[in-house]
Amino acid sequence: MNRLQAHPKRTISLLLLLAIIVIAASPWLDLQSISSAEIRQQILWDIRLPRLLFAFLAGSGLALCGLVFQAMFHNPLATPFTLGVASGASLGAAISVYLGLNFFLLGLSGQTLSAFCGALIAISLVYFISRLRSGFSTETLLLTGVAISFFFSSLILLVQYLSDVNDAFQIIRWLMGSLTVVGYDDIRQLAPFVIIATLVIIGFGRELNLLMAGDDIAASRGVNVNRLRYLLFFITSLCVGAIVALCGPIGFIGMMVPHICRLLIGQDHQWLIPASLLFGGSFLIICDTLARIVIAPAELPVGVITTLLGGPFFLWLLIRNKRLLA
Amino acid sequence: MLLNIKNLQVNVDKKSLLSAINFSVLAGEHLCITGPNGAGKSTLLRTLNAMMPLSQGEIYLQKQPLQRYSKKHIARQISYVPQNSGRALSFVVEDFLRMARYPHVHWLSSWQQSDQTALETALEITGCQPFRQRQMMTLSGGECQKVMIAAALAQDTPIILLDEPTSFLDPHHQADVQQLIKNLHRQHGKTIIEVTHDINHAGQNADRVMALKAGELIWLGQAAQFLKNPLLQTLYQQDFVFVQHPQTGRNVALTAQSL
Repeated sequence: MNRLQAHPKRTISLLLLLAIIVIAASPWLDLQSISSAEIRQQILWDIRLPRLLFAFLAGSGLALCGLVFQAMFHNPLATPFTLGVASGASLGAAISVYLGLNFFLLGLSGQTLSAFCGALIAISLVYFISRLRSGFSTETLLLTGVAISFFFSSLILLVQYLSDVNDAFQIIRWLMGSLTVVGYDDIRQLAPFVIIATLVIIGFGRELNLLMAGDDIAASRGVNVNRLRYLLFFITSLCVGAIVALCGPIGFIGMMVPHICRLLIGQDHQWLIPASLLFGGSFLIICDTLARIVIAPAELPVGVITTLLGGPFFLWLLIRNKRLLA
Repeated sequence: MLLNIKNLQVNVDKKSLLSAINFSVLAGEHLCITGPNGAGKSTLLRTLNAMMPLSQGEIYLQKQPLQRYSKKHIARQISYVPQNSGRALSFVVEDFLRMARYPHVHWLSSWQQSDQTALETALEITGCQPFRQRQMMTLSGGECQKVMIAAALAQDTPIILLDEPTSFLDPHHQADVQQLIKNLHRQHGKTIIEVTHDINHAGQNADRVMALKAGELIWLGQAAQFLKNPLLQTLYQQDFVFVQHPQTGRNVALTAQSL
């Protein structure tokens, strides 16, 4: 146990401070180059602020869903992305672009709904295929996730190939993951999902702790493991589906953030949940700010930054913890 | 009668793991379940607290079918110590014990004095106090097994299920853990159902012993009657010779090859 882990409240306060600093500082960066005060105001309030809020919501949502997956499968490599949820959602969204689904249902766009369906289909496939073999193991689950991801990726390529140039370009840009939102509409679409997922996850903090100890221990302490798993699967798939539908698959946040939070604050989900929420939000804002200023005035898709950071992190995890896949 | 098992059958992937099992567990008894590998001992243990679904038959807990109770209610009656698993866990001992209070803690309520008392008692009975602040990963096998038993105690249930609690332990820690189980049974009135390969431990320390083979219950009787041929011969397809225990006077079994 390190010093930060011994004082979880202090660590949470530090993460809160980080979030406040990041939120306060990020929209002002690189704003001086614009001479007109009026345009500056407009950029700040109509572009930067909604984008910031959106990044915070998406980052928190991805980090929390990652945290839940890691707890459910007792493995830091199990995230909605490694288990194929994101590629399912991507395929759903790509198909909706290809078919030109431009309808709204209950305030959700055709693309969002289609991404949801993709996410749910992917995670159900992964879950049921990995249960086909008796003796369910996390290893089988991860490998099934990888296989399903590849399969869905090739379907996305197929959809792209069949699409016309414009649609194909739209799909490619979207697959890179970016936060180029304008206005507050996207936030209104995303917020309910992230908030509901957050509340549900906070409500199950104790159960998540027990799941970390293994299914047998959780079950013997009175947790209805299967029911809880289905519920969490459903809620997290919806949340990730919404995020992926609105800003594309922004990879690795769900793996990096919860893992770093575990190092900072220990294994107790009472602290891990708020920590992941704060750090996930701040982290995506930082990545997005980087994406905005690295090659300014042009912009990188934020997914490129998170993936560039995430790839090496993934390898570091593998090397550092050889027991992970054992 | 605390637990009553009627015509229990468990199939997994169309393969029968247990069939036609009937027995009762009396309040306050120490029942050991033995049998060769693959006999269905752990499966049977896992059905007793509804961790494993039944294909047929019924388990009655205090005269009510087990599945009528909520999972939390079952967890207030029956705790479970899994086989050799604690050392992979990255929890601080005390936090792990705290988590064992889960079935007693209401969703919204906070940690009560009664929870703290249960935790302290569990630490004291098992002798885990000296390492209550340590990471479980850093404990020795013996210490870890005690922590797993302490967690079951913190769960504060009349019935404790143990799955091979002394496998993988050196003789000193085996004796230590066996003594602890004996105390739980004799001094604290717990009903113990223990799966074990240690036939001599079963024969000396248990009240009754059950022998399973290929998913069937082939013998259930007083522990003093267990260590005898032809029962052991049939059970393990192995020749045994017997000597008398100098203190209890009961049989002690040795495999013929070990002589």
